[in-house]
Amino acid sequence: MTKRYRLLSFAALVLAAVMICGCFAGADEEKGLLRTAINYDITTMDVAKTTDDYMIPMNVFDRLFETRVQDGNAVVVPSLCTEYKVSEDGLTYEFTLMDGVVFSNGNALTASDVQYSFERLLILANQNTDIPLEVVGGQDVMDKKTETLEGFKVADDTHFTITLSAPNAGFLAELSSPVMSIVDKESMTDGFGTDPAAMIGTGPYIVTEWVANDHYTMVYNEKYRGPEPTVKKIIVKVIADANTQNLMFQNGELDLIDLKNQDSAIIQSVYKTQYADRMVSAPNVGMIFIALNENNEFLKDVSVRKAIGAAIDVDTIITALYNGDAIRENGIIPTGVWGHNDNLQGFTYDPETAKKLLADAGYTDGQISFEIAVDNALSSTVKTAAEYISQSLNKVGFNTTVKNYDHAAYLDVRRSGTMDSFVASWGMDYNDPANIMVTFFGSEANVKARSLNYPDTAIIARVASAPAIVDDEARKAEYQALEQKIISEDAAWIPLYASMHLWCRGPRVASFTPQWAGFTDFYVTDVVLND
Amino acid sequence: MKRLLQAVLVLLLVSLALFVMLRIVPGNPVAVLMGEHANEATIERLTAELGLDQPIHVQFFRYLGGAIRGDFGTSYSLGKPVSQLMGAAFVNTLLLALAAALFAWIVGGLCGLLAAIRKNSIPDRLFMGFSLLGISMPVFMVAMILQYVFGYWLHWLPISGVSDWRSFILPAIALGWNSAGSIARLVRSTLADTLEDDYIDTARAKGLSETAVIWRHALRNTMLPTVTMMALQLSGLLSGAVITETVFSINGIGRLAVQAINGRDIPLLQGTVLFATALVIFGNLIADLLYKVLDPRTRREVKE
Repeated sequence: MTKRYRLLSFAALVLAAVMICGCFAGADEEKGLLRTAINYDITTMDVAKTTDDYMIPMNVFDRLFETRVQDGNAVVVPSLCTEYKVSEDGLTYEFTLMDGVVFSNGNALTASDVQYSFERLLILANQNTDIPLEVVGGQDVMDKKTETLEGFKVADDTHFTITLSAPNAGFLAELSSPVMSIVDKESMTDGFGTDPAAMIGTGPYIVTEWVANDHYTMVYNEKYRGPEPTVKKIIVKVIADANTQNLMFQNGELDLIDLKNQDSAIIQSVYKTQYADRMVSAPNVGMIFIALNENNEFLKDVSVRKAIGAAIDVDTIITALYNGDAIRENGIIPTGVWGHNDNLQGFTYDPETAKKLLADAGYTDGQISFEIAVDNALSSTVKTAAEYISQSLNKVGFNTTVKNYDHAAYLDVRRSGTMDSFVASWGMDYNDPANIMVTFFGSEANVKARSLNYPDTAIIARVASAPAIVDDEARKAEYQALEQKIISEDAAWIPLYASMHLWCRGPRVASFTPQWAGFTDFYVTDVVLND
Repeated sequence: MKRLLQAVLVLLLVSLALFVMLRIVPGNPVAVLMGEHANEATIERLTAELGLDQPIHVQFFRYLGGAIRGDFGTSYSLGKPVSQLMGAAFVNTLLLALAAALFAWIVGGLCGLLAAIRKNSIPDRLFMGFSLLGISMPVFMVAMILQYVFGYWLHWLPISGVSDWRSFILPAIALGWNSAGSIARLVRSTLADTLEDDYIDTARAKGLSETAVIWRHALRNTMLPTVTMMALQLSGLLSGAVITETVFSINGIGRLAVQAINGRDIPLLQGTVLFATALVIFGNLIADLLYKVLDPRTRREVKE
C-alpha cells in the first residue's frame, strides 16, 4: 500500500467512525420524558437553605396552600389544607389537613409534620425564617431556648392551630411560598438537601438523581394523590452556555427552553419567527428599580430625586432593550400582585422638567455626582439599561458613573448602607405587598441594609404595621397611600419596569403554564405533553 | 529530590498567596451564600460557624493541616467535601485532556511531519495555514463551529453533556485544536531544519531509505522540543479546560472553578486552583524527566 493510500484509508476510517457515532446521537427521547435546562446548578434541594432553587421543593413537596394561575390571575388555593378559620382578631388560624395524604415513602402526613416543618426552618436559622418567626414563640426556637414552637398547637393528626404574634392578612399567601414546604419528620436525615433518597415529600414527583454540575432527574410519585400528570420523568440539565442551550433546543434535545439568558437578537430572529406559535410568556412579577440613598449629600434632596425620575425614558428602555417584552412599573407593588395600584401616577419622562428641578434647587451642571452600582450577577440587559440610565442622567446635568460590583462586594457595600444608588431587580416570593414593602421600607434596619436610608420613621412604622390590617380593603388602601407617599411625594424609589419571562415549547409539549410570578422554576404538572 | 522540594515550596507559596487574596478582596462569602433575605445576625452566626471570623493565620494553618491530610474542606455552595467534588470532576477533565492531547499530538504531529517533508509545497502551505488557524482561533469559537456543524447540522455527535465516549469527541477537538496548531508548526520548523543538517546527508549517502532517514535520524532530534511542549500542553489542557467544559457542559475541574468564583466558594476555589497548580508543576517535572531520557547530554551535564 502506498503512502497516499494509507493516508486516504486513515481519513476514511475516521469519517466512518464519526458517521457511525451519528447513528446513535440524540436518541434519548422516551414517552413521558421532559427535558429542560438551567444555566447553573442548584446549590441544595433543601428549601430551608436557599432562596433561589425552588424547582425540587415545588415539585417534590406540597404546602398548605399554593398560589396558582386561574383565569389569568394569581390566586391562593388550598393544597394540603382543606379548611381553615381565622379568629376575629386575625391572630389565630385553625387548619384542617387533607385526609389520607401519604409521603413518597408511605408515611402518613400528620399535623406534627407541619409543626416540624415550621420548627425546622427556625432551628436551622438560615435564609428562610421570616414566616415561621411570625408565630408566637418563633424567636425562642431560633434563639435555641426551646425546640417547640409555642404558637403551634396540634389537636390531632389532621387538626392544628397557629397563633401569630401580630395579625397578618397575607399569612395564607406566605404559606403558599415554596419556603413553607412540608417535610416528613420521621424520615428526616442529615442527607436532606444533598441526598436524593432523603427527599421525601407528598408532591407529584420524586428526585431520583442529582449529579452535581450535570443534571438532576425527577420521576412521577406513584403515591401522589392528584391526577396523574403527562410528564412521568423530567431531566433538568445544567447547560451553562446559552448558545449550547439554543442549539440543543433546535436539535430536539430539549423540550422546553427558558429564554431568559438568550440574546435578544436570537429571540427575535429565531424564536419569534421560527417558533412564534410555541412561545410562552409570563411577567416576571417584581420589577427593576433604582434605589437612592438619602444619606448621600445630593440624593437627600427630594428635588434631585424627582429630577432623576423625570430624566429616565423607561419606554425607550422597554422598546430598545427588551423589544417591547416588558411592562412599565409606576409604584412599589408590582403589576400582578394583590394591592397593585393601576392608577398610581409614576414619573413622567421629561428632561426639561428634570433640568428645571435641578436649576431651581440651585445645582449647576455636573455638580451632582454619584455612583450607580450594579450587581455583576444581573443580566447583561439590565446592565445595559443601567448604562443608558447613567447617560440619560448626565444629559440633564448629573455626573453619574456606573460601577459593576462582584456579587459578594455588592452585597457587602449595600448592607453597609453606603451605596449611593443602585439598579436592581426584585422578584416576588409570595403574592402580598408585604414581601416588597416590608423588605425595603419595613424597619430602620431594612432601609439601611438596602442602602436607602429613608428617614421618615412614621412611614416606616406604618409599613411595618400594614400587614396586621385584617380588613382587605383597608389594608389595600393603606398600602396604596404609603406607595403614594414614598413614590409621588418623596421620590425615594424609582420604579422602572418588569420584564416578560419567555420560554419556548418543543414539538412534544402541548402546553405549559409558568409559575405565577414568572420564576424559572415551575410546577411540572403544568406541562402537558403530546405523547 | 531538589525538584520535588521546589515543587512543594511552590505549592505552599501559591496556597498562601491564594488564601490571602481571597480574604482581602471585598465581600463576605457568607452573604453570597445566604442570599438576599438573610439578616445580619444569621450572617454573623454562620461566619463564626465557618471559622471565617478567626485571624487569617489561624485560618491558613487550619486549612494547611486539613490539606496535608487530603481534607480541603466543604464547599460552601454545594455542601459536599471539596475532595469528593474534585474527584468526580477530575475523571471528566482527565478524559477530556487526554483525548484533546491525543488529538493535538496525532493531528499536529502528522501535519508538521508532512509539511516538513514536502517543504514549500502546496500541502505544506495548506497544513501551515490550518495550523495558523488553530493557533489564532479562540477555543469558544472552535467549539461553537463544531457544535453547529457536527451536532446541529449533521446530527452526528452530541451537542453537549457527558453520556458516553462520543461526548468527548467534539470537546477534545475544540480543546486540542490550538495545541495541534502549535505542535504542527514546531514539528515542521525543527524537522525541516534537521533535514538540512550534514548528518542527514551522510545517512542518505550511506544508502538509507528516505523513511529510515526521517524516522530513525531526523525525527529523534525533533523530539526534544516537541516532547517538552507536549508535556507542558498536557498540564495546560488539564488545568485550562474552563471554556470547553462550560460550552460543552462537562462537569470538570474548570467548571467547578467557575462555579466557585461566581459563588465566592472559598474552599472549592482553593481546591481547584491548588489542583491546577499541582498539575502544572507535575507537567514541568515530567518534561524535565523526559528531557533527560531523550537527550543523554543533559544527563551528562548533571553528572559533571
